[in-house]
Amino acid sequence: MPLNKLSTGAALAALLLLGACGEKAGDSAPKSEAAKEAAGDATIAAGLGDATKFAAAAKQSGLDATLGGPGPYTVLVPTDAAFDKMPAGALDALMKPEGRAELTGVLTYHILPGAMLAADIGKAIDAGKGKTVLATMAGGTLTATKEGDAIVIADGAGTKARILGPDEKKSNGVIHRIDAVLMPS
Amino acid sequence: MMRWMLAAGAAVLAITAPVAAQKGGHGGGKEHGAGQQKASHGSGGGQKADRGTRGGGQKAERSARGGGNDRMRGPQRMQRQSFVQRDDHQSRGRGHNEVRQESRGKGQAMKVDRGNRGNDNVRMVRDDRPGRALVRGNDRDRDLRVARFDRDRDEGVRFVPRWNDRGLVRGFVDGCPPGLAKKGNGCMPPGQAKKLVGTPLTAALGLSALDGPYRNWYRDNDRFMYRWDDDYIYRVDRDRGLIDALFPYTNRDYYYYPVGMTYPDYYNYYNVPYQYQSFYPDGGDYWYRYGDGAIYQVNPSNGTISGIAALLTGDPFAVGQPLPLGYSAYNVPFAYRDRYYDTADNWYRYNDGYIYRVDPTTQLITAVINALV
Repeated sequence: MPLNKLSTGAALAALLLLGACGEKAGDSAPKSEAAKEAAGDATIAAGLGDATKFAAAAKQSGLDATLGGPGPYTVLVPTDAAFDKMPAGALDALMKPEGRAELTGVLTYHILPGAMLAADIGKAIDAGKGKTVLATMAGGTLTATKEGDAIVIADGAGTKARILGPDEKKSNGVIHRIDAVLMPS
Repeated sequence: MMRWMLAAGAAVLAITAPVAAQKGGHGGGKEHGAGQQKASHGSGGGQKADRGTRGGGQKAERSARGGGNDRMRGPQRMQRQSFVQRDDHQSRGRGHNEVRQESRGKGQAMKVDRGNRGNDNVRMVRDDRPGRALVRGNDRDRDLRVARFDRDRDEGVRFVPRWNDRGLVRGFVDGCPPGLAKKGNGCMPPGQAKKLVGTPLTAALGLSALDGPYRNWYRDNDRFMYRWDDDYIYRVDRDRGLIDALFPYTNRDYYYYPVGMTYPDYYNYYNVPYQYQSFYPDGGDYWYRYGDGAIYQVNPSNGTISGIAALLTGDPFAVGQPLPLGYSAYNVPFAYRDRYYDTADNWYRYNDGYIYRVDPTTQLITAVINALV
């Protein structure tokens, strides 16, 4: 059975490396129903709210299905005002059918794996002595720092986006609203 | 364990030495490799925060370990990694255009950081190599700017938006246009990829069991086994010993097929990773196909992509491997947080359907736990 092989192999590796056994790898982790309920039934896709431009872009690139799926994802959602700050015509160009591949790249640069709260990012920033790197679905990375209490996310070109407001926990992850559109480079 | 690390470190230095020689002794690549090693031994959370080096350390270790499976892309990727490193150091704080040279064995490619995103006039100039192009343009600050096209996959997105006053300028970044399969350094026409299906598995391929995260994604079972080479993952029918299906070995160039495109016929096999199969089964209303970071939802009646069902990073998580760059922040799904939380002895990180336990001191992954919310 593949699962047994996996757990044996992993346990063996753990033994060799650390001489300690914690959970047996390969077990399905039990879910906490209470925790799930606390997150609510609404998915990220259903919870975009005011971010109409992001929602339209997600639909255009087929990512609305992703953000309605099991995830989990941490999504940095630029506000409509953030999209308005883009160079004139840039968003229009991305929203055309021929711009779909690029649009998908831009949006996936705002999607991170797993469920990450602002406090989690903050802890990593502190542990990293002032900054931490975040992996994105697009393949590139973002850099997170703090300015006072606020968390600031920077893209490769140096554009900075601030996380506005509290964590929005969803059934399939977290939404953090930001005030700028981050660009892969 | 230590010996393995030292050997990997030595191999990294060996691989990057020729690069340093070419560039007049610049130690970008070496520094990168050593830095990654240091991060593994160093304090928890102290991974080198450098965009360009994400995942590179793991690749170097993989090719050092691989022996017979030494992937030819390894040295080339290390080469390009070193340039990324150097550019990051130079341009950090300036964020403006930088001209970089890169030699890739056969030709030269110029690349420049994009810098500001003003209205640039860009003119496409076709290169002699298929699938690649140089772009020249002007802006107010500089006379000549060349857009960046030859990109190592770890630098990020393959399609980078560029626009001028006429609209979006498209360039294929280090990749193949739709319709051509990536093979080695060139772009293989689809007919050739398809021809491999139905042929016997070669002896060499027979030995190449999947490594890294893919061992959990595509699990050998009684009916099929999975093997790989530089270009494809092959599903092999055990009874007949023939290749039953193939799809690109995830190369993480993050070319997301646009919605509306016909899913490539030559990879049209159900290849959803194991941990997602209960969500995206075969034989339902949709076809589900995995490719380069996305599970695509395909309309069976016309074969076109109707959406992206899920995104995966494909980052190299595996027991015994270092935690990849970009996962310093705790990201375990809510349903599991009351059981898997960070302590001084153990960290937990989620990726692609699994929760991984990490030793904070060594930054090595010590266990994998099945988990899908």
